Formats: sequence, structure tokens, C-alpha cells
Amino acid sequence: MSAPAFAREAIGRFEFRQVAWDAGAGQASLAYGFDDGPDLVERIVFPGAPVPAHPAAFDAALRLVHLIAGVSYFKAAVPPRIAVLGPAPAPALATLLDAVYTDGLAEFAWRNGIDLRGKVCFPRGAQAAPAPALGLPRSSLVAIGGGKDSLVSIELLRARNEAMTLAHVGDSPLIAAVAGRTGLPVLNIRRQLAPELFEYNRQGALNGHIPVTAINSALLVAAAVLYGHDAVVFSNEASASSATLEQDGRVVNHQWSKGIDFERAFAAQVRAGIAADLDYFSLLRPLTELAITREFARLTRYHGHFSSCNRNFRLLGAKPRERWCGQCPKCHFVFLALAPFLPKPALVAIFGRNLLDDPSLAGDFDALLEWRRHKPFECVGEAAESRAAMAALARRPDWREDALVRRFAAEIQPALAASELAIEPLLAPRADHALPDRLVGLIDALRRA
Amino acid sequence: MTEATRPLPPDAPWIVLKFGGSSVGRAACWPTIAGLARERHAAGARVLLVVSALAGATDALKAIADHADADERRRLAAELGQRHIDFARELAVDPGLLSPWLARLAELAAAVGPGGDCAGSWARQAELMALGELMSSTLGNAALRRAGLDSRWLDARDCLLAQATGNQGEWARWLAASVPVGRDEALRERLAGRAAEVFITQGFIARNGDGCTVLLGRGGSDTSAAYFGASLAAARVEIWSDVAGLFSANPREVPGARLLRRLDFEEAQEIATTGARMLHPRCLSPLRRSGVPLWIRDTGRPELDGTRIGPEVPDAPPSIKAISSRRGVTLVSMETVGMWQQVGFLADVFQVFRRHGLSVDLIGSAETNVTVSLDPSENLVDSDVLAALCADLAAFCRVRAITPCTAVTFVGRGMRGLLHRLRDVLAEFGSLRVHLISQSSNDLNLTFVLDEVDAEGLLPRLHDALIAAGALPAEDDAVFGPTWAQLYAGAGSLRPRPWWRDRLPALAALAAEGTPCYVYDLATVRARARALGALGSIARWHYAVKANPHPDLLRTLADQGFDFECVSPGELDAVQAALPSLPAQRLLFTPNMAPAAEYRAALARGVRVGFDALEPLQALAGEASGGGTAIALRLDLGPGRGLHAHVRTGQDSKFGLPLADLPAAIAAAGDAGLRVEVLHAHLGSGILDPGHWREVGLQLASLAEGLPDVVALNLGGGLGVPYQPGQPALDLAAVDAALAELRRAYPRLELWLEPGRYLVAEAGVLLTRVRQLKRKGARLFVGVDAGMHTLLRPALYDAWHPVANLDRAEAPVDLRADVVGPICESTDTLAAGRLLAQGTTTGDLLLVDLAGAYGAVMASDYNLRGRPRQCVLDAQEAVP
Repeated sequence: MSAPAFAREAIGRFEFRQVAWDAGAGQASLAYGFDDGPDLVERIVFPGAPVPAHPAAFDAALRLVHLIAGVSYFKAAVPPRIAVLGPAPAPALATLLDAVYTDGLAEFAWRNGIDLRGKVCFPRGAQAAPAPALGLPRSSLVAIGGGKDSLVSIELLRARNEAMTLAHVGDSPLIAAVAGRTGLPVLNIRRQLAPELFEYNRQGALNGHIPVTAINSALLVAAAVLYGHDAVVFSNEASASSATLEQDGRVVNHQWSKGIDFERAFAAQVRAGIAADLDYFSLLRPLTELAITREFARLTRYHGHFSSCNRNFRLLGAKPRERWCGQCPKCHFVFLALAPFLPKPALVAIFGRNLLDDPSLAGDFDALLEWRRHKPFECVGEAAESRAAMAALARRPDWREDALVRRFAAEIQPALAASELAIEPLLAPRADHALPDRLVGLIDALRRA
Repeated sequence: MTEATRPLPPDAPWIVLKFGGSSVGRAACWPTIAGLARERHAAGARVLLVVSALAGATDALKAIADHADADERRRLAAELGQRHIDFARELAVDPGLLSPWLARLAELAAAVGPGGDCAGSWARQAELMALGELMSSTLGNAALRRAGLDSRWLDARDCLLAQATGNQGEWARWLAASVPVGRDEALRERLAGRAAEVFITQGFIARNGDGCTVLLGRGGSDTSAAYFGASLAAARVEIWSDVAGLFSANPREVPGARLLRRLDFEEAQEIATTGARMLHPRCLSPLRRSGVPLWIRDTGRPELDGTRIGPEVPDAPPSIKAISSRRGVTLVSMETVGMWQQVGFLADVFQVFRRHGLSVDLIGSAETNVTVSLDPSENLVDSDVLAALCADLAAFCRVRAITPCTAVTFVGRGMRGLLHRLRDVLAEFGSLRVHLISQSSNDLNLTFVLDEVDAEGLLPRLHDALIAAGALPAEDDAVFGPTWAQLYAGAGSLRPRPWWRDRLPALAALAAEGTPCYVYDLATVRARARALGALGSIARWHYAVKANPHPDLLRTLADQGFDFECVSPGELDAVQAALPSLPAQRLLFTPNMAPAAEYRAALARGVRVGFDALEPLQALAGEASGGGTAIALRLDLGPGRGLHAHVRTGQDSKFGLPLADLPAAIAAAGDAGLRVEVLHAHLGSGILDPGHWREVGLQLASLAEGLPDVVALNLGGGLGVPYQPGQPALDLAAVDAALAELRRAYPRLELWLEPGRYLVAEAGVLLTRVRQLKRKGARLFVGVDAGMHTLLRPALYDAWHPVANLDRAEAPVDLRADVVGPICESTDTLAAGRLLAQGTTTGDLLLVDLAGAYGAVMASDYNLRGRPRQCVLDAQEAVP
């Protein structure tokens, strides 16, 4: 098989070609292409898929998946034109897609030295009739990622006796193992990228961060319609909405598709274009990272199993360092944010080492604290949270002599206002959220916790 | 039913045998148990069997006690009762014998329940938990009678009377009670008066002064056996389980650990308290005080002598018997000014520990610092006790809580007399973060407390180093038995019979032409190459030429499809000289600290190139002449692993690109017109843990996720060969299975390996002739014509090579000697304190085994004694 040629600079057009559904195999095929090049076909498998009870809504959901998942291919060349074969998206959807392909790729663009602002323009079709309510059963499809956030969501919902199924995309054994420990039903959606993409990479395709939460959100919405759930629940927290970097009026948020703006726009699109009675929301939106770690500290049965490390370990190991690389900002932040809420021996047992007693990590923790450094391009909490957690440790006799805590107390804390370092205000639920009415009571429960 | 019991004389000795739950709970074990009892009785001993509950029964009873729901408790009790009834049927004994116990079980299951931490609830819990042993001993008694033994059931509560001790809490009086130790004449007479071949009783249980049932705590059955041994003044206590005894290290971590044939009580106590789970530490003290020996035996392998623990052997030479480790240790370091001037400082400090219910294990002190260790406990992990402790201590001193740590302990009598031998053992700790070292004045232990991450994989290395240094004298048959691998891992796990045993005449002929002489057997090289080639998960094999660049070996390996990994232009030349038609792409050039010019020349030569530093890449970056050539990057993934500090790489070593430099290296490669297609890591040599390469691959693969150009991972070499006898060989099937798992998870990535030693070490031997014998006091030096100029490994790495006398193959091997060379260096020793054939003398031909790797290639001209000869043997392999 000869590899198709890929001359990135010369490419003028990205095409959304077609969506096919193989009911027998439960497989969706999403075809894309550049100019007149070959089809790039992504395959998605919904295991044990039933015959869709709401074919029109499911078609609309797969179309949404097609339009959003195209971002993985579009970004290989970032051509000036976007074409949608078949009916063009309704204006509101096109606006959402413009945002996904601009704001969702902002970090990618910034790192590759390009500027996508004003350059992405999806074709606009006719206004569509509003989608009907489908009478979906009262049940949540909860995204699980193997980290602390989704586990906190799951246990909050379980405590309220919500019916739920967990869902994850891809084949991470860690997520599968953590999901298994919940004892709840689990749906594993498989996604296979077009193989040509790897060949394009060799030939100079652009690479970088894509808004993967947007893609997974669309996949779970399609799954909710297919299997019958009236809510798709993610676990993005308050700080996901804030920018990672602002430069010359350009705003880059590493986790844009985990932010509240995307959540609202996407939820509106789901209700308007797919099912009027399908909720999409982030359960943890009212919570700060510290409030989440405080909740998670109580869930001891997951402590030896979860991982929020962003090195993707696709195999499971028994040793802590096979779950926690100890070198990435996620490892550093989760360690720091859990520390105020766990006995020290319990925390270090999770990670297999004490990251706050390693002087070589001083610069990495400085970045979390935004102390003479930029916050890293990662899904980590706000600097205020890291600073408050560190200040709490500086007060604790079992922590305060550890290298990085001592350094904080001696060199950084004196330059910070004491009023900013209290943990308590940072644990308070935030008002900016999109929880459905039936779950708003959760916030009061957390406030009392 | 039974034949008339022969009366034993009044002074007949007692033997107490204890069987654990895994033996007791298997019907197939009862004929063995009956046989062991009968054998001892026939030899003139009175026999008492102490049994545990059926495996899992104690946990099941605890679950009943802890369950809040009465219906669930009843259900669990019925389930456990049924399990015993089923087991009775399996033993072909009458299940009706269980009736009184089952009735009591039902009553108690209704009455117990969590909460109510008071004497009443603990009493009920103790009575409930006792039922496990009461039922198992009842069934066991019937099984023994069925086997034709005149067996009598004995209620342990009528024999062992618990007494509260001073510092014992109420909970412990019921559930972790103690029994005063001493000879109990009344019990001896009572039992001697009863005609029986064997008595059977329960472990774990006793009675208190009020006549209530109490428990003896964790490990209670071993403790019961010890109490019975002491009160009956037994000739010995035998604990039978599924392992032959205590080992010189935890066999799960160190498969080359040796069975300890003989220990004294104090040594055994140290081993049991510092990590070995085999024996509960509590059971030794009653026996030590009564002088009753303890034997540990394997029910499945009764022919093995196991471990015998007894009083200290006078004048035994000092030696290390075992190493053990405990994870999850927390150190509390307390810093103050001039503490010794403060009367009562330590008393104040320890009062705080006491108040928080924390028991201190190790202590290290200086004028201004006291550091103590806390063993892992549920308390420390589940509660804020450490924070509270530190807060209280902060009133006296500056506190630092160092955790997680691992405590590694060397156990043996006379540790201080062995310090001079520990040079190379201590070198293992060189780059590790050690926080505390403790050595007790009773001279039985030496403990290092270090960071838990640093302790990973350390035990096997320390164990080997202790043997190589002669500090753990594994050749002393009186103390050290076979390795765990020899006993339990099967013959297939060990090194096959060495090839040279079948080629003695050929070797003698070669030696006659001159020694020292290396001899390589190509058939062995081929066999190893084929074994590796059969691993399905590896796409590309490279031979690490540095191990042995002999042209015949290179040609043999090229025929087997191996590529070649070279670390210098000289090695590239050597391969191309031996194999002129070999395509350049079958060569991989991975030098270290080489000038940019060497890389440039290698790229021009068309060989594949690996970089392990930024500087040469940046030097080439200006030239942009790479033309898209694929290269490899060798990364430093952190702590290295391997045989010896000198042959490990990573962290403090000069090898590998630090991970932080990876983005810069990728960028520099791009600027040079090179493309990084391979990530490479090599973490050391002599590795026998089959999971190692998967772990390296996992680290590399997760890094490759962000690098779409990467198509292959080179997991390095380091495939180990066991040098010491009884060490298990590397399990290739396990290596392959682990890597296949990695392949499935990352189908995009090919896996490569680059072994050297594994292919050639066993294929080579060094022949050397004895030139002189010299005695100095008790020491015998056997001088040979090979030395550190011929085989440097023993002098450089303290390497252990087997030595055999080919001229005295039939003689008993019992002559202890140092095999030394003719070089003017005190380290010129090939083998220290080794057993050689009786009568070894000048002119004899000795063979140094496993010398095919890093042998001749490391020979030198030092002292101008000349280089060794090298010969090759090639015979057609026998067709299987």
C-alpha cells in the first residue's frame, strides 16, 4: 500500500465527507479528507449497541460527533477552507464549531506559531426545527477518567441514589480498573483514528493539543441517545474555565473544552439539535480543585488505584510509579492539593514518594504557585489554591520541614498577602454552574460538609 | 480400631507439632500429618499436635463478629458451618461430631455484633473466634483415628491459663492474651497418665483466670505451640507449613535466597521481627526462655530438613544470615540544641510517643538530633496521629517527618566483625538516600532506612553482593541450604548443565598448548541466540559487541539474524572486518561522550546512530545535513538497576539524556535534518527480573505518545546470567509475555533489545593452571597463571565466577582457598574463600566458568604478563 502524499502547505480545503452507521457492528464510520485526497476514516464502536430507538436524534448526534471529531484531522494541515458535504450545519451549531476549532485549538495554534482567530469559518445552513423531547429514562451516563474528579462525581451521585452508567472512551486499563472498583455498570466506547494520520505525521503534519473533552462529550451524547440516558455528566471543575495564558490580547485556555463557556454552548446545542430532554453538564463545576480533593480524600478505597497523572500509562502496574510519573504538573498538583486533607503517611503511600521533599522539583511547584513562572499548560488548579495548600502545609509540623514547604515559608510566603492564603474560602461552592435543578441541592450539601 | 498403644516410659520426650490452616484444611494433608505423628511416636516420643482453623475460617469468623446485620451474621455462620460439614465428608468422618460447635456458632452469631467495645463484647468475640480451632481439631482428631492412630482430643483452654500483664489493655486481655511461660509439671503428669499415641489440640486459644475463653492474637497458633513446648518441656516444637523454613531473604523478591538450615533464637527473632512473615515473632520468646528448639518444616516436602532454631552456637564465626525489609516506615527526626545538657529530654520526647500510642523501633542520635522510626500501622495511615505527634513534639524541638521509607536489615551474629567485608555491599547504597543507620549493641543487626523508591529492586543486589563479599557465606552447608528457586521453582528455572562438562578432553588439549586461555563454545552461543530469537514480541535483536568482539562469535550471531550494537568506531571496524558484506544498516552506533565528529562519520558510513547527549546534536544542528535520517535517543529514566554500582546506569551516571532535555534534543535533531524514530533506555546489566524490560518499555512508550515520529523502542540489554549456583536463570517466557502485553497496548511501537552477556557469558570459560600454593596461617592461596590482567571482573566488580579443578573432577570439594593471580595488586583475586577439590596442587588445570562476556576483551597488559589466548570450539549441535 503506497502512502498518500501529504504536502501540508499546499492543502487548501478540509472536508467533512460522510457518516455511516453499521447497526450490526455498532460501528460509526466518520470520513474526512483534504482537497481531493483519500478518505480519512475514523471508526467508533459502541459495544452491544441496540437498534436506535430514536433514529433521527441518533443521526443528529453522530453528525455532531463527526463535526467535532474532525478537529483531530483538521489540525494536521489547518487549511484555509472548511467544506461540509451534505447539508451545512445550522447557524448556532456552526458558531459552536467555529469556537471548537478556534478556542479549542488555541494552545495548539500558539505552540505552532499560528493564529486561528477569525480564520475558521464553518458553512452556515438553514435554521433547523427544534429537537423534540424523547422521553429518555432517568439515568446518568457519567464520564470516568481514572482520576479523582470523576470518582468524586460518581460518589456524590451514588449518595443521592442516582441511577448511572459509567462511560470511558479508549482502551486505558487504568480507567477500566478504576471503573471496575466502583461496582457500577461501565460502557467502553472504542475510537480508532484514521491510520493515514500517522503517515501524515511522518510527512510533517502539525501536532498539538486538541479539545478532547469536546469530542468525548459528543460521543457520550450519542451514547446517551443510543442506550437511553437523560443526562451526560462530566466532572470539570471551576478552575477549568480560567485561561492558562494571555498574551497580546490572545487568550489561551489549555482546557477550554472543560470550561463553562463550552459546557453551556454545547448543552444548548444538544437540547436544540438532538433531544430537548437530554442534559449535559459538569457536576463539579461549582467546586474548586481543593474542594474536590477534600471530597476525594475521604474515598480511601480508590486511593491505591486512581491516577490523575497525564503520562498515559496504557498498562497497569502494581507500583505507585507506574501510575504516577512524579514529574508532570498533574502529579505535582494532585499531591499538593490532597496533602492538606490526608494523613501524610497515607498521601505518600499513594505516590510512593514525597514530592514536596524533592528540591529538584522547586521550579515545577513554583509554576503551580505562579511564582515567577507561568502556570503550566495542564489541567491543574488555580495558583491561589496551590498557594493556600502550601501555606496550610507550612503550618503543619509534620510537613513544614520538607524541602519545598520550608522554601515556600522562607522565600515565597512573605511576599504573599496572608488573607489570600486561607483554604476555607477556596472550599466554598461557586455560583457559576449549569447543574440541572434536581441536583442544585448538592451544592448546599457540600457547603455544609 | 487401633492396635494396643505401647506404653512409653515416664521420661519419654514430648514433641509438639503445629500445622497451619492451609495444611489442616486440605484432606490430602491428613495422611501426611498422621504419618508424621506415628513416626515420632514410634521413635519413642509423646506427640502433641496443635492445629489452626481451616484456612480462611478465622477471617470468616471475624467478618461475622464485625457485621452489623444479624440476618447477615446468621447467613455467614451457616455458610461457615456448611464448609466444615463438607470438609468432614471429604475427610470421611462423621459431620455429627461438629454439632455442639455449630450450635454454639449459631448462638454467638446472633449475640455478637460491632460496637460495644467492652469486656462483654470482647468475650463473646473471643468465644466466637475460638470455634475455628475447636472445629478443625475435632475433625482432625477423627481423621487421625480414622487413619488408625489412637488420638485424644484435648481442650487447649484446660492447659493454657492466660494472665494479664502490667501494660496490657482490656482489649488485649481478651484478644491478644499472654500465658506465663514455664514447665508445667501438672500438665506433663496429667497427659503422661493418659494412654494415647497422639494428642490433638487447638492453637490460638486459652482460658483466663475467670474461666473464660481468650485469644492469643495474630500468629496465635505458632504462639500456642511455643507455650505447649515450654510447658511440656518438649524436646522440640515443629511448625509445619507450606515453606521449608526461613530464607536468607524474602524468596518472592530474591528467588536466589537460601534456606537457612540453622539459626539461634536471637537471630531468628531478628529475622521474624524485621520482615519475614514466615514465623510470628511472638512465638520465639517462650521457646528461647525454656531452651526448647524450634524446627520449621514443609508439609508438602517432609524430606527437607527445614530450619532448626536453637540456642546460640558457641564460637560460631560471625556471618550475615539474612536480609529483610519493611516498607512504609516513617522517620521522625527531632532537632534541638544541646539535648544532652537537658536532663529528661529523651524522657519528655518518648512520653509524647507513648501518649499517642506509637511504638518506636529504631533510634539514631547525635548531640543535636534524635531520629526514631515508626513501623507502618493502620493508625498512622487512617488517622492524623502523626500530625498530632509532630505538633506535640514541636514544643521541645524542630520535627521532621520523613516518609515513605524502607528499612533494610542485615541480620546475623557478629555484625561488627564483618564491617571490613562490606565495602562493596555498602557501595550499593552509594547513590541512594539513606536517612538512618542503626546497629544494636547485641551485634545482631545492621539496618539502613532509606527512601522507599530507592529500595526498589535493592534486595536481590544486596543479597548477591553479600554472598560475593563472603559476608553471607552461602557455601557453608551447615547454615545455608539450597536456594528457594532450587526447591520450589523447578529445574527448568535453573541454569542447564554447563557445556564444558562434556568437552573435558578438548579443553585439556587446548590448555596443553598454553594457559591462560579463553575457550568459546559456538553451539552455546547459537542456542542462546535461538532462545532469544524465539521471543515473538521483539522485532529486532542487537548483539552488544562490547561483551565479546571475537570474530567467530560475531559471524555466528550474524548468521542467527542479530544486528550489532557498537559503542566506538573501533567496534564498528571490528564488525565490518569480521563481516565485510554486512549491510551498514545492521549496525547501531551508540557511543557515550563521543565527539560530534564520530557521530558525523557514523552517519556518513550509513550505520544507525543513537545519541545520548544534547551537545553533539546541537553541533550537527547547524549543518542540517541529515536528510531525514532516523536516529535514536537514549534517555535517562532515573534510578538504574543491575549487578553492581559500577555497571548500573541512570541518575548519577554519565549515560543517557535527562528527560528534561528531551524536547531540546528533538528540536536539535530536527534542525540537523534528523528524525527521532527510536527511544532508547538501558538501565543496567545482569538483570534477572523478567518484568524489567516491560517497565522500561512502559516508561518509554508513555513518552513516545507525544512523539508521532517514534516507531520503535530500544529497551536496552542487561539480560542477566546467574553467576552464583542455585540462582534462577532469567525466565525468557515471562519476559516475552510481559513485552507482548506492552506490544498490544502500543501496537505502533516495535520493541528492540540489545543483549551482550546473555549470548556469550555461558559460552566462554577461562582455563588456567595452578602455579604455586602458599599457606599463611589458616589461609590457603592457590596461585594461578590468570589474574586481573586476564579476567578483570572479580577485581573490578567483586564478580563471582564458579571455579572447578578439571584434573580432580571426582575429588570431594572441601578445600577452602583464595584463587589468586600473579599481578602485583592486592585485589588480584579470581575467587575468594572458595571450596576447591581436595588435593588441588601446583600444575592442576582450573576452569573459571561463565567467562565469555567481558573477559578477554577487558584483559590488559598490566605487569606485562601478556594477553590470554582465545580459542573456539564448534561442534554440530545435537539435533533434538
